[in-house]
Amino acid sequence: MGASETDRKLRKARLIFYEDDVERINKALENYQNLSKSRCNMLIDVEGHPVTQVGSTEGINLETIAALVAASFAATKEVAKILGEAEFSSLTHQGKHESIQLSLVGERTILATIFDSEETTIGMVMFYTKELVEKLAGIFAEIANRKDLKQGVFEPMEDMESVIDDLFGDV
Amino acid sequence: MVQINFAKREINCKLVYYGPGLSGKTTNLEVVHKKAPASKKGELTSIATEGDRTLFFDYMPLELGKVGGMNTKFQLYTVPGQVYYNATRKLVLQGADGVVFVADSQPDKMDENIESFQNLEENLREQGLQPETIPMVLQWNKRDLPNVCDVGELDKKLNKYSSPTFEAVAVTGEGVFPTLKKLAQMVLEKLNKEYGLNPEKNKGGGAPEAKKPEPKPEPKPEPKPEPKPERKPEPVAERRAEPKPERKPERKPERKPEPEALPKDRRPKGYDMGSGGRSPQPEPKKGGKGVMILLVLILALAGAFIAGGYTGKLNDVPALQPLQKFYNDKLAPTLGGGSATQGE
Repeated sequence: MGASETDRKLRKARLIFYEDDVERINKALENYQNLSKSRCNMLIDVEGHPVTQVGSTEGINLETIAALVAASFAATKEVAKILGEAEFSSLTHQGKHESIQLSLVGERTILATIFDSEETTIGMVMFYTKELVEKLAGIFAEIANRKDLKQGVFEPMEDMESVIDDLFGDV
Repeated sequence: MVQINFAKREINCKLVYYGPGLSGKTTNLEVVHKKAPASKKGELTSIATEGDRTLFFDYMPLELGKVGGMNTKFQLYTVPGQVYYNATRKLVLQGADGVVFVADSQPDKMDENIESFQNLEENLREQGLQPETIPMVLQWNKRDLPNVCDVGELDKKLNKYSSPTFEAVAVTGEGVFPTLKKLAQMVLEKLNKEYGLNPEKNKGGGAPEAKKPEPKPEPKPEPKPEPKPERKPEPVAERRAEPKPERKPERKPERKPEPEALPKDRRPKGYDMGSGGRSPQPEPKKGGKGVMILLVLILALAGAFIAGGYTGKLNDVPALQPLQKFYNDKLAPTLGGGSATQGE
């Protein structure tokens, strides 16, 4: 296996965010949130893991919403394929008060914008989303194309079995 | 696909329970949810039919705590077992880091087990995952039933990749945690092998591969505090009652070049979306333009005073006194009109 093939496989196998990546992303999200007057914004990877969020998440179970949003988006992608589209890049669920707008960022991340229809409109949210998605897609492409890990993830562990025993000790 | 978030010092992994319909996948998850301490588990969410058959998936997050300095979280999913739901099974399997195959031990379910295992292999490959290398554990469930296949037979027919196997009675909880524990261990060992700080030192990790960790200052252990939202709790009627009429007529047709400069308070009171709110409205420009409009209003009012001969009654309105003063001091001499205040 050549080096480039190894790189490709590694990139495909993991998504790594460093602190400065998240800082850049959060700054862009906060700016977008101010402009769109949305309640909160989350970035979720297509597997349903939350990446980061800004805004008021009070009363929102982030992990559950991330899993459901990712599933919803994945299901919609299949619907798009059936209709001959590669994908639907955005998806809106509109409620009486709270609504959620989902937008694909790059290939592997979903932007979920929760907004209150008393505060802003779907048009306003979509208008500002376009610019943000382009900006974030650039950041994510940079993250995905990073060749080497800047640092190891785990501190040295002597014995994985005892680590697992400790973890599950009170489960 | 594992997500490693240094900002949160967090690792997220996805584990999927796979197997034929009614083999006990959802029951496994229910037992994990029931027995895990409240501090470590999230909600169990099921997208199921009315008859409690899984339609899309069941899901629960499980936080295991620190592993090698990283907070480790597992997202546990089940797939719908029924043959009909293959499209949704594929979606759930997308990006899985480990799989538990839950087999029904009854002899008449063997064909369904085999079919489901083959389906798992196909779907994994379709997602770019290799059944030979993905961490996988097999669970022989329903061992309490009177007529069950021999473990050796199950192993021979289903365990193509020499995966660890566990006997279980999921309804009583037996074998549920050993299965999950083994899979968690395999997933973490794989991760440690690939991303460990000093892989050569890790007994469970194996040889280093494909990456050269560079020495770098440790990231700050604390994640950034979540930005405090400024969500106004007051009812809609109150929000709307506070007027800021200058916002609406001033919307600029073009975007502001430096939106970062906007005030932090993103929810101005009185922002009424009822009219003119259907199209995107960039933030109104504040400052000079506002002063201009105020001046025009003052002039208009002053004109009205002159034309309408207001000379006395407005004195009683405190809010208009600065206007009157302004008129008297600045405008009256220029315009040559009378005073808007009543003469002494």
